Amino acid sequence: MSEVDLTFLDDAVGRIGRGKDRVLELLQAAQGHYGYLPVEVLERICELTEITPSAIAGISTFYDQFRHTPCGEHIIKICVGTACHVKGASLVYDAFLRHLKIESGGDTDADGLFTVEKVACLGCCTLAPAVQIGEITYGHLTCDGVGAVLEDFLRRDSIKKKDKKKGDGAAKIHPEGEIRIGLGSCCVARGSGKLLDAIEDVLTETAIKAEIKQVGCVGMCYQTPLLEIVLPDGKTFLYTTVEPKEARSIILAHFKPSSFGKRLMNSVSGLLDRVVSDNVGVDLCCHEAEVREGHIADFLGKQEHIATEHCGVINPVDLDEYVSKGGFEAFKRTLGEMDREDVIGEIEKSGLRGRGGAGFPSHLKWRAVEAQDCDTKYIVCNGDEGDPGAFMDRMLMESYPLRVIEGLAIAARAVGASEGFLYIRAEYPLAVKRIEEAIEKCEEAGLLGGDIFGSGFSLSLTIVQGAGAFVCGEESALMASVEGKRGMPRLRPPFPAESGLWGKPTLINNVETYSTVPWILNNGGDKFAEHGTVNSSGTKVFALAGKVANGGLIEVPMGISLRQVVEGIGGGIGGGRTFKAVQIGGPSGGCIPAGKADISVDYESLTAAGAIMGSGGLVVLDDTDCMVDIARYFLEFTQNQSCGKCTFCRVGTRRMLDILERLCAGQGQKGDIEKLYELSLMVKKGSLCGLGKTAPNPVLSTIEYFRDEYEAHIEGRCPAGKCKGLITYSITDDCIGCTVCAQRCPADAIAFTPYVKHEIDTEKCFCCDTCRNVCPADAVKVE
Amino acid sequence: MIELTIDNLAVSVDDGATILDAAEQAGVSIPSMCFLKGCAPSTSCMVCVVRVNGRESLAPACGTKAVDGMVVESDCDEVHAARKTALELLLSDHVGDCMGPCHVTCPAKMDIPLMIRQIAGGEFGEAIKTIKNDIPLPAVLGRICPAPCENACRRRLQDSAVSICLLKRFVADVDLASPAPYMPVQAKKKNKRVAIVGAGCVGLSAAYYLQVDGFDCTVFDSNEKGGGMLCDEPADKLSGGVLAAEVGVIEKMGVEFKLNMQVTGGAVFDKICKEFDAVLLAVGLENSEGLDSSLPSVFVGSDIGGKKKMAVAAVAAGKAAAVCVGQYLGGEDVAGSVKPFNSRMGKLLDGEIDVFMESASKAGRVEPAGYVGGFVNDEAVGESLRCLHCDCRKPVDCKLRRYAEEYSAKANTYKAKRRGFAQVLESEVVFEQGKCIDCGLCVEIASRESAGCGLAFTGRGFDVKVAVPFGRSLTEGLGRVAAKCIAACPVGALTSR
Repeated sequence: MSEVDLTFLDDAVGRIGRGKDRVLELLQAAQGHYGYLPVEVLERICELTEITPSAIAGISTFYDQFRHTPCGEHIIKICVGTACHVKGASLVYDAFLRHLKIESGGDTDADGLFTVEKVACLGCCTLAPAVQIGEITYGHLTCDGVGAVLEDFLRRDSIKKKDKKKGDGAAKIHPEGEIRIGLGSCCVARGSGKLLDAIEDVLTETAIKAEIKQVGCVGMCYQTPLLEIVLPDGKTFLYTTVEPKEARSIILAHFKPSSFGKRLMNSVSGLLDRVVSDNVGVDLCCHEAEVREGHIADFLGKQEHIATEHCGVINPVDLDEYVSKGGFEAFKRTLGEMDREDVIGEIEKSGLRGRGGAGFPSHLKWRAVEAQDCDTKYIVCNGDEGDPGAFMDRMLMESYPLRVIEGLAIAARAVGASEGFLYIRAEYPLAVKRIEEAIEKCEEAGLLGGDIFGSGFSLSLTIVQGAGAFVCGEESALMASVEGKRGMPRLRPPFPAESGLWGKPTLINNVETYSTVPWILNNGGDKFAEHGTVNSSGTKVFALAGKVANGGLIEVPMGISLRQVVEGIGGGIGGGRTFKAVQIGGPSGGCIPAGKADISVDYESLTAAGAIMGSGGLVVLDDTDCMVDIARYFLEFTQNQSCGKCTFCRVGTRRMLDILERLCAGQGQKGDIEKLYELSLMVKKGSLCGLGKTAPNPVLSTIEYFRDEYEAHIEGRCPAGKCKGLITYSITDDCIGCTVCAQRCPADAIAFTPYVKHEIDTEKCFCCDTCRNVCPADAVKVE
Repeated sequence: MIELTIDNLAVSVDDGATILDAAEQAGVSIPSMCFLKGCAPSTSCMVCVVRVNGRESLAPACGTKAVDGMVVESDCDEVHAARKTALELLLSDHVGDCMGPCHVTCPAKMDIPLMIRQIAGGEFGEAIKTIKNDIPLPAVLGRICPAPCENACRRRLQDSAVSICLLKRFVADVDLASPAPYMPVQAKKKNKRVAIVGAGCVGLSAAYYLQVDGFDCTVFDSNEKGGGMLCDEPADKLSGGVLAAEVGVIEKMGVEFKLNMQVTGGAVFDKICKEFDAVLLAVGLENSEGLDSSLPSVFVGSDIGGKKKMAVAAVAAGKAAAVCVGQYLGGEDVAGSVKPFNSRMGKLLDGEIDVFMESASKAGRVEPAGYVGGFVNDEAVGESLRCLHCDCRKPVDCKLRRYAEEYSAKANTYKAKRRGFAQVLESEVVFEQGKCIDCGLCVEIASRESAGCGLAFTGRGFDVKVAVPFGRSLTEGLGRVAAKCIAACPVGALTSR
């Protein structure tokens, strides 16, 4: 390669620092600048800093975020989180590779335009399957839709580039914003004319001055009519298959009518959510990464808001608004009337248990740190929410950053820590931004910093961005990462309370745990304990996704039954399918069958059922989901995310995956289930940290409840029709000869025979499922 | 002081001691691979797991601090099963052979690669010792053996097998021609007499090894000279002189030969059975009539019931019989010799032969020029350099192999597609990635003391590997602690060249 200009690094090191613990930030900056990490760059960083070659070689290869080879101009991040997986993410991944003609083993197309990457979870579970290209997130993808998605992206990208050439992108947008409506022939055919009329009516009635722009065909003809809202600041929102009657609510959601007040804005925001993401009828939608799911989905049902208090009404980083609603009252009390023991006593009364997964009683942890006789103590907020299928902490940090900070500050005060770190996944740029803003505002207001309100208590907070390693959610690994090391867990004890960051006593809790703390102090521990059950008090935030009709974030009291969550709040299974199981707790959790769905959602009941509370991922499965495939999916994830330290996890999970892959490929042998079971127990018993100890749970729970499916795989059948090696596609007599499948088949496995029953050449077929999806007569059979 | 029990043994240790320290003090042996005194416990191999206070999950003894009142179990089924699983998991990802394919294939299990390296180093005196450890008649076999070892030789994938049989013959001939041919050191006399009926390959071999073990052997044979069926070999292949010379060595060791003596028939045999502490029948099938082998002191060491077609197999049978007789006379269980543990990498993948070839002479197979079919010095040395060194460079010190034997771990419990074979060869050191168990000892030692760029763990999970930063050389990474790191490596991953 040509010479790399290394001058950027001098500036970066000057700005970021030379210490060993600056390594992640330096590497992130370098990759941001160079696009990847050339060897010259790594060597230069070592010359300029205290970081050793050994450390930088180890760290830059440990985290998924870092690339050592150049990549294409745009990166297509395909989410393979649980919700996306059960909705066909791997088929979408294959479709992108096929479409871009990327050969197996490669990840970048011949033109160097696109690099295709799998990512653990984008946290957009209700848009599943989702991909992110550049800053745009596309949801509800189908295999035959990938071409349209790429075209759409390139169109947007070229507009952006043109704007840049003009010097000022925003100048092009009408000062009052724009409403763009597609008027290509297919749009007109699908009723965009009527939509245009409706929009004009709304604008006249509300006196909104936004400009209506009619645009030509954008190539996404099967989801028309399209409506795009462009705000004066350049933010865009795309709505697909918009009905004329929806025009009003969409417009009101984005533009302030001159005659209506703020109250009306709020009243339509729930509807906005429905349109952007949760509407079942929307089969593809895309928008800037920033909006994603927007607010918490406000379903009917038994929800209670503690961590998500003031849901949907509060501006995330508006400190005045937060304070006006009682924000930081609790923290101020801890600086004055309440002493440390008072605070911890309230937490004890509340019965709060760690919301990160294991459910350790919070007051015990706090008290252990408080009791340490040491001048320097640290406090850490674990925001490395890595479970595929979970996005609670992202939402809490994006929507309630001030509450997270207040909780953290209260805890710091209670244990006597004056320096804190918020470790946040790199995949959550908006959460980072919001927390950053919130910290700044708190510092300006004197809520953070030295000698807060003359109390003598000081607290400074720093954000550390993760770099893509699930294992860093484990507390000892997280602390290693904060210290600028490979995120390797270590043997506990000693626990962080005794020896944490840099060997000092450290309190570490997750985002949701801290988020509940202000409420507990404001309302009293007893009040909190009134919610939930005796041993699991309070509420829990879940990310409800998968095959459920209404997915989204929910906060429910502990003790609610799983069935109430799935059928009550989630509205049951969509698409006329039957409820099969709930995967709860992500890769460390298990699958609870529909027959056991009446169990109570609390720490003990879930553990007894072979799952765990986990951080709150709740993926609902229906009868088309293969449980062996689900187990394989999770093992693939944990195996890939293992740090590689101890034998049981590093090699054991790999060997478990080998067996599961064999089963799913139809190469299972007699004795495999027993061997898998035995090995699972060993990995559970022998692994060093929580990742390995819980990795076998998805396997053990599926073997326990769905052993017949495992046996079927050994006999060469996949009852759910999911495992490619065990299924064949065929067309039944219901075929109407419409040729849609033949046109769409990417494998050319279906001959074009109009008005005659079609046939699938099973030799050519690679089971992409496109034909079944497009068939209007439901004539494609999978066996 | 901290008081705890390990396998019900009370032990008290200083504050800060680990369970492993305590076990050592209590005399309880706990296996461990990744731990080395002077280095921080990496708790990675998990072979040292123990059960603490009856808890379900097991704890690594090397990193777990002893606590007052702790109850540790090291010797129970569950702990054993977990250790065995840890070993089997490591073995499932272990790319390498403990023993070379030639060694494994040789019916007599002669350490062929070692012999070849001794020849390459000009240490012919050492080479004959290596040979005679398993083959007492190498000059004979060097002429008549069909050499199944050469059939297994990996070098065949490149051009043709190393000429193992001729190398062995060369060493044996050099030895016999020397003023004082090799005499094995014999154990202290045990004052037990063993009668061996039959002076063929089996009988001669058994006599050789029993005599080495300190037993007094007498060989009976109806023939007028020793050698059994070897005497029927055509003279142009095996001259009588070579056979006589090697039988002569055995005689010189003190083995008594009673030739021209028919043992068949009740009276003589009964007399022998009474006179000797043990009797080994080493006669062919056709000569076995009338020999009652039902007495506990009578062993059958020949191919009665089976047919040892190859002399080398008969030699192996003789040695195996000698082990059994020795065990019987020593009052031990007669179980034969234990098969050593062997991890095998199996068939080579595409391109792997090239990796093996890096350390070997590229020349084709040497054909002996003169000297009636045998090698001369230079030829032997030249040929020996063609060996690929398939066997492990740490066959004895390897802890994985040792514990695999101890815990009866099997190399193929978890079948998996294996990784490719890789090897970094530098002037002093050899690094075989596929054998590394990621214990990190070399990484730690090098980062602390190398004064070079050190080593690093790169990658994550199953793909973790030890590498030198920025693709630099191993020599640069290890700096001045190469020897220390090699000694610390618990397996054959890091070895000296």
